[in-house]
Formats: sequence, structure tokens, C-alpha cells
Amino acid sequence: MTQTRIGRRAALLGAAGGVTSFAIGGKAFGQGNPVVFGALPPLTGAGGPYGPAMLRAIQQVVEEANAAGGIRGRQIRVVAEDDQTNPDAGVRGARKLIDVDRVTALMGTWASSVTTAVAPLCWENRLPLFTVSGADSITLLPHQGFIFRTQPNSRLQISTGADFLLRQGSRRVFHMAAQSPFAQSSQDVLVEKFRAAGGQVAGYVVYERDKTAFRSEVDQIMRARVDTVFLNGYLPDVTILLRELFRAGFDGRRFTPAYAVNQNTFQTLPNEVTNGVITWQPSPDVESGAFRRLQTRFGNVEVDPYSAQTNDHAALAILAAAAAGDATGVAIRDAVRRIASGDGEKVDNVTDGLRALAAGRAINYEGASGPVDFDERGDIRGTKFRYERAENGRFALMELR
Amino acid sequence: MEAYLVAMLVFAGLYALMALGLNVIWGLAGMVNLGLVGFFGLGAYASALLTTKLLWPMPLGWAAGAAVAAAAGAVMAVIVARLRGDYLAIVTLGFAEVIRLVASNEIWLTNGTDGISGIPGPWRGAVTPQQFNLIFLGIVWAAVAVAFVALARVSHSPFGRVLRAVREDEDVAAVAGKPVLWFKVRAFCLGAAVVGFAGALYAHYNAYIAPEGFAPLLTIYIVLALTAGGVGAMRGAIVGALLVLLLLEGTRFLAAAIPGVTPVQKAALREGIIALSLILLLRFRPQGLIPERTRTRASP
Repeated sequence: MTQTRIGRRAALLGAAGGVTSFAIGGKAFGQGNPVVFGALPPLTGAGGPYGPAMLRAIQQVVEEANAAGGIRGRQIRVVAEDDQTNPDAGVRGARKLIDVDRVTALMGTWASSVTTAVAPLCWENRLPLFTVSGADSITLLPHQGFIFRTQPNSRLQISTGADFLLRQGSRRVFHMAAQSPFAQSSQDVLVEKFRAAGGQVAGYVVYERDKTAFRSEVDQIMRARVDTVFLNGYLPDVTILLRELFRAGFDGRRFTPAYAVNQNTFQTLPNEVTNGVITWQPSPDVESGAFRRLQTRFGNVEVDPYSAQTNDHAALAILAAAAAGDATGVAIRDAVRRIASGDGEKVDNVTDGLRALAAGRAINYEGASGPVDFDERGDIRGTKFRYERAENGRFALMELR
Repeated sequence: MEAYLVAMLVFAGLYALMALGLNVIWGLAGMVNLGLVGFFGLGAYASALLTTKLLWPMPLGWAAGAAVAAAAGAVMAVIVARLRGDYLAIVTLGFAEVIRLVASNEIWLTNGTDGISGIPGPWRGAVTPQQFNLIFLGIVWAAVAVAFVALARVSHSPFGRVLRAVREDEDVAAVAGKPVLWFKVRAFCLGAAVVGFAGALYAHYNAYIAPEGFAPLLTIYIVLALTAGGVGAMRGAIVGALLVLLLLEGTRFLAAAIPGVTPVQKAALREGIIALSLILLLRFRPQGLIPERTRTRASP
């Protein structure tokens, strides 16, 4: 065998080269005076299917703003790092964005665990974090106003879903929940809602999301004689559950979050299994001008709710910096509510927003994900929800309210 | 930039501690332990829970983290006493998954997948974030230094020599009158304690832990660190940890330096570069950068 020797000197040289590359990076970023925003979407890992589109939405808004003259003449640059849908990698990526690229706002974190891990870095370094994570606990952190969440929290999502089920005439529901930060809080909300309406949650099972067979759980559902089963899980497990429920002859309502049933489900399962499944999701405001613009920019690709939200993250950060006349993290934090709600001129894109601000007018940004008004905790108010029913391999809209 | 480098050196120190711990179990005693992240998680959760719920002082929490991991290591060693090679690897991998699943399901204790936030750090809040980073850098690398000196001495002591004998041939060691299981238990205990201590430090540095943070990926990084550095040599563990972190972080800048690469391609490229460099390393330098010297002297 040929021996290639990497001596201690060679190793040292390699290490020195690596360290130098850090230094070069630092210098290159120091030139000019653009405003730098950091994007930390999941480009690989469990969030990998969503991250690239989320990032594209951010980049397109920034391009538009730059074409419109930037923030008071300063160009905007987006630096993206991959959070790998992993809190550890997310923290390292955020450190790099904050300390090396000196970003003044972070946006686009997806997984709740990543957001929770990255959040302390943001408030310690005094810059805002715009996120699409849904876990209730996130905005309860002591974040001093630095967190803005465009995703309705899970409590709001579940209570809206429960209201819908009650409207549909459901009274006995079985709750199948994958283990997640919102399993228990979902159950609490369901029990509260159904009890108040004279119904009941006839069964509650928390399962591990990697499970591949649900026989005993399905038996439990059948025994409970419910009119509705709420499949509060993720795509792989809900797919299996639907198949097993069909085999067992369950004929009640099947209700599930939209991320748990999608086109893949229709490819995996025959239509007779999926027909009648009802999904719900916080809906982007599909009628809004901002959403239509996003759709046009994306071409013929379907726009997912997360991209609609990151579109708004970028717009909010840009307009807030322009309104404050200062692109520091604190200035952006303090100006977000001023440009996102109130009596100002309604705008749905950064070009109009920047023009109005330059003319000294107050604005109220209405985004692609909704009106983006934030409460005092940083949670979104007034999002619409979309209910759809699966029919022969496609979704038919039931309600949008 | 400096803050970033300091933070990454803290991570490198934590990785080095884990690699040192693994080196006792794998490098010296020859037991493949892919359950590393389980011990890391145990240490992190033990310390985080004791300091946030029972308000123990931090050093006691760290010690408890190490102790809990050591105890789990001892139990683990007895359970896997008769397993070797691939079978051992699978069982230890399972152990780490069990820890992660328990952490995500025993909500009353661990707060489930929400994780534990607001874990105190030494003087956090009283000093600037950058000073806190520097303080932690000192703590972590002091721990690495202590662990390095202690473990290097252990590895050259009669105890370490018996472990090597067990690694090379268990039966011969047993025939020579060495209580093999007892030695394995102690090696597992010692290694797990160091890894658990690293976990405790990690929890207090990050201020937040969640089950998702203890996925097998971290184990892989540490195994790679040790393989790259040289299995068996304590110096190799530290060099390997630094190398892995350099690779993880350096690829960010390397991939970004290539013109015309989109962030999505960059993310994929990064993973590719990391994998490729480790494959190349294993192909051309399987013994690691600092191979173990098998002829041991009496003292380090």
C-alpha cells in the first residue's frame, strides 16, 4: 500500500490555511456599507422541502427593495446559512451570521427547537428574529420584544380547528397526536372547546412519530365510537394511519393539519382511502396583492404558507429599517409595529412602502401571509384559516375564514 | 468575527471533551460506543434540571451531570458485557435513542420536545455576551486540559495497559488473570463521566436544550473527530475535534467563496465537502493524524 504521509507540519499548515480563510471572509464582508440581513432557513434536514422556497421569497423581496433604491440609499444584502433543521447547527449558523456578517435582523427559522435555541443569541445581541415556528413557548421566552412570529401559535390553530369541527356537527372526537411540543396543549384546548359545546374528547393517544404500525391505536379509535378522529401528526405517520383506518372500516370524519396530508399522500394512497379527509391550515391571504405578487414571482410553483411568511419577514425588516432611518436591530424592533399596523397608508409591497416612507407618510404593511399585526408578545393577530376536503386526489376548498 | 471564533472554540472544546471520553471507551478499551450523545444528553439534562428546578449551584450541577452519565455508563457496560463489534455498536446506538425518546415523552420531568430554556450560565446577564463567551471558553478549555492530563496518565498507567490488552484480545486478558468485565465497567464509567460533563457544560453554555439537539448526528461528528485525530491517542482526540469543527465551519466560507453558488447549493456542497474530506482522510490516513504509540512508557 502506498503511504501518503500527512505530517504534523502539513496538518498545521492546513489548519493555518483554514484559519486564514476565516480572516479573508471577514475582510471581504467589511467593504461598503450595505444593510445586511441574515436568513436561517432549513435547507437540509426535515425542513429541507420548505427552506429553499422560503429563502427565495426573502431574496426576491430584497432584490425588489434594492431596485427601488434600498433603505434610504443603502443597498440590502441577504446572507443565508443552513440551519440543517438542527438546534446545534442552527446556533452555529446564527453565530456566524451575527458575529461575522454582522446582520441586523434574522429571519426564516422554521423548526421550533431551532428558533428556541437561536432566540437567546438574538436578544443578547439585540437584533430581531422573524420566525415561522408555531410552538406556544417561543413567544413566552423573555425576548424583550425581539421575536416576531408570523405563524399563528398552536393554541390558536387548534382552537380554530376545534371551532370548525363543532360547526360541522362533530361532538365525539378522538385525538391522535404525534409527540410534539403541542400535543398536550392541543389536547387541553380540544377538551375545553368540546366540553363547552356539550361534546367530548372520547380518546387521546400520544404516539411516537417514527412508528410504522398503528393497529392497537386504530382499535382504540374504533372502540371509542367517535364521529371524528383528529390526526394531529405528520406526513409519514398520518399516511399510515389513514390506510389503517380505512382497513378497519372507520367511516367518521378524519381531520388533520394540512402539512400531514399533501400531494405525496395522494400518490401513496388510493383515492378511496383519502376521499373525505379534511385538512386545515393557517392560510396566506390568497386574495391579497402581496400574495399575488409572490405567486407571480414564483412562476407556476405553488406558494406554501412558509414562503408567504418569509416574504413578509423581509418586507417588514426592510420597511421597519426605512421607517426608523436606522438599520440597527433595536431600531428595526421598535419600528416593526409602527409599519405593520395602524392607520397609515396600506401597502402590500416594499416598492410602494419605501416610496411612501420616503415621502414622509405613515404606512401599514399588509403581507402575503395576512395583515401581519403583532400583539405585545410578538404573536400574529388575525390570520385566516383554510379548510379543504380531499376528493379524488385533489383538494376542494370548503371554507376560508 | 472574534465573538464567532470564540464561540466556535467553545464548541470545539466541548467536542474535544466528548472525543476524550469516547477515546477511553473506544480507543483504550476497544468498545465501539455509538451511544455517546445519550451520555451527553444525560449530563445536559441532569445539570439543567438540577440547576433550574432545584436551584443547585452550577458546579454541583455539572458534577451531577458527570455522575449521572457515569452511573448510566456503568449500567450500560454490564448490559453489553457479552457484546462486541457491530452488535455492541447497535445496542449503544439504541441506548442514545432511548434517552432521546424518554426526554421527548416524559414531559413532567423534561418538558418534552419544548425543551428546557433559561438554563443559567456563569455570570450570564451580569457580563456582556462576549465576556460570557470568553469566560466559558476558559472553563471549557480548562476542563479539556484537566481531562487530557488525567486521561493521558490513565492511559499510560497499569489500568490503561490492561484496557489495551482487553481491546486487543479479551480472552488473553482474562487468562492473564484480569477481571475483564470490571475493567470494562470502569472504562465505560470514566468515559461516560467525561462525556456527561461535556453535556452539562453545553447545557449551560447554550441556555437551552431539547431532545432534538441530541440526535445521532453529534455522535457521528465525535466518532469522526476521533478517527481523524487517531483512535487511542489522547492528543489525537483534541486535534480531531478541532479538525472536525474547522471542517464544519470552514466549509461555510469555502463553499461561499465559489462564485455563482446559491445558498441551497452551498448547503449541499458543504455536506459533500465534509463527507469527502473524511473519506479521503480514512483512505489515506486510516490511523489518524496522530496515531497511537502502542509501546507505552511508564509515564506520559
